[in-house]
Amino acid sequence: MTGNAGTGGGAFVMVRDLCRIYVMGEVRVKALSNVSFDISKKPAEFVAIMGKSGSGKSTLLHQLGLLDTPTSGEVIIDGKNLLVLSESRKARFRLERFGYVFQEYALLPELTALENVYLPAMALGRKKEEYIRAAREVLEQVGLGERLHHRPREMSGGEQQRVAIARALINKPDILFADEPAANLDSASSGQVLELFRKLNREMGLTILMVTHEPEDRNYVDRVIWLKDGEIAEHGT
Amino acid sequence: MLSDIRLSMFLAQKSITKGNKGTLVLTIFIMALVFVNSVFVSSLFLGLTNTINEQMINTMYGTVVIEPKKDEKYVDGVYSLKQKISSVPGVTGVSAQYVTGAVLSYKDKSGAWSVHSINPDDEVTVTTIHNFMIDGEYLGKQDENEIMLGKEISGGYGGDDEDSSLGVKVGDTIDVLFNNGVKRSYRVKGIFGVNFRGADATAYVSQKEMASILGMEDKASQILIRTWDIGNEDRYVKQFLGLGVSETIKPWQNYASMVGDITESFDVIAMLISGIGLFVAGVTIFIIIYMNTISKRRQIGISRAVGIKESVIINTYFLQAMFIVTCGIVAGLLIMFSLVVPWFVSHPLDFSIGKISLLILPERVSISAISLVIAAVIAGLVPSIMAVRETIVEAMWGN
Ligand SMILES: Nc1ncnc2c1ncn2[C@@H]1O[C@H](COP(=O)(O)OP(=O)(O)OP(=O)(O)O)[C@@H](O)[C@H]1O
Ligand SMILES: [Mg+2]
Repeated sequence: MTGNAGTGGGAFVMVRDLCRIYVMGEVRVKALSNVSFDISKKPAEFVAIMGKSGSGKSTLLHQLGLLDTPTSGEVIIDGKNLLVLSESRKARFRLERFGYVFQEYALLPELTALENVYLPAMALGRKKEEYIRAAREVLEQVGLGERLHHRPREMSGGEQQRVAIARALINKPDILFADEPAANLDSASSGQVLELFRKLNREMGLTILMVTHEPEDRNYVDRVIWLKDGEIAEHGT
Repeated sequence: MLSDIRLSMFLAQKSITKGNKGTLVLTIFIMALVFVNSVFVSSLFLGLTNTINEQMINTMYGTVVIEPKKDEKYVDGVYSLKQKISSVPGVTGVSAQYVTGAVLSYKDKSGAWSVHSINPDDEVTVTTIHNFMIDGEYLGKQDENEIMLGKEISGGYGGDDEDSSLGVKVGDTIDVLFNNGVKRSYRVKGIFGVNFRGADATAYVSQKEMASILGMEDKASQILIRTWDIGNEDRYVKQFLGLGVSETIKPWQNYASMVGDITESFDVIAMLISGIGLFVAGVTIFIIIYMNTISKRRQIGISRAVGIKESVIINTYFLQAMFIVTCGIVAGLLIMFSLVVPWFVSHPLDFSIGKISLLILPERVSISAISLVIAAVIAGLVPSIMAVRETIVEAMWGN
């Protein structure tokens, strides 16, 4: 965590009039329209994005996480207008300040757990002893100290997801983006993941944006942003 | 940046060592075969050209030829000229020849060929015909009523012009009508076959004999010179000029203009064939890397999502292509020099112009290697550049 909250009085995360229109030939799908909200840093929030299937949850997360480019609108994080950055600056920003956890684990199959985890640290140009030590630490933190040299296919879904979380944490990000991180897990593993998120948020001040469709996940989060047909809704339906 | 290169190397290494070994080995093997093909074709054509050149030197011209001055029919003062030339370091043989046309006939068959007169003692220092006697014997210095024929003239030994040959054997007597009207009969003393049509269509008599036919002394139609080395003819020509030789001096290449044209055509054909081979190799690497990137599309998406630079990802594929092509070239060199070359050395191809082996020139091998590397790099880069050009979301979840 770089610690310092936003400059110039704005919130840590400011989303303004975000629109994302998918154009497929003749058809235009308005996946997000005029979405605006703030997320504050003090204290760090654990936010859930909820809504029906197709309501635009993943799309919203991709825009905030700089994985996709919105049709219009602004995303300002820590005082920086991110959408004007070049692709390589965006990549650098993702590497330094964002962590991602996806529904389908998204590990590189040719790398061991340890290698998957230290890859982003290696990409930052850190020293070898340093990133290996950091990777061991985060793997222990997610309870996988014993699985360092396993390849993804030698691990259970829950274990793979925790490796993915460890990878998201290695560069000490400011924000963790998670798209249905527990959807493929049994209830025990899914509980572990959510507990871990809760703990990371509380103890380390990590801002977390998590897409979920499980109503009971509301128990873990500080706030829910509801989406309906690509727009912010008052509350769930 | 160093850390970017290190990261690319790390990812490439993992992809190679932990990826599908079968595909990797197959790809390297294809590279190796393409490389072998390209080197083989150009070396074979070079070998062919080389054999033709050697045949010209060994059986017809030596390395440098002295011809009469312009507008003159003969070289004069042969004796002193021969001495001058022999004194040049590196000259290993000098042979003066009269060359004249003649009609040779036997029973009802006849034909026009060129007859050379030689001093056999001199001639063996320049040409190697004496090593290729098929029947009978080489001419002797004192032979007067004897003639030596190439197999295209005698017939009976599988020449190219068997139909127009005389059909004579050693010991038969043939009639020769020289261009100046003199007519003589000769016993066939020997028949030679060097497997080079121009040389095998020549008849030889001794110098002593020719002198009596033409009534000339100390003259020659041409003086053949053999030097210790091949390829430095221009230097020898300069030296001969420096010694005051005022006759026309021609290196053997001047007689090779027709061969030169053929050689050029060979080069074009060789380039075409290796070009096609390279194209196939390029397409193969392209398909393999393309399949690889397609199957790794999600992984590329994941790596980019995590924040790995596009250039690092492209370099990863570039390094893999370099690795594959390097292994392919090394394997190709192994196949070439441990199997193909030794085999050809012990089993040269027996063509009508002589035995053809492979002539491997390092610069040609390098050209093949460099072309293969270029093909591989392009084939490796294009699909990976295509893969990083789609959006991360498309790469990770698109179909
Ligand atoms: N790449 C795309 N091209 C075209 N339309 C898309 C694309 N991605 C999403 N959409 C459309 O945009 C809308 C929002 O999709 P999104 O994936 O954000 O929904 P979601 O809320 O994440 O749904 P789920 O709960 O099923 O994951 C949907 O109507 C979807 O069909
Ligand atoms: Mg979704």
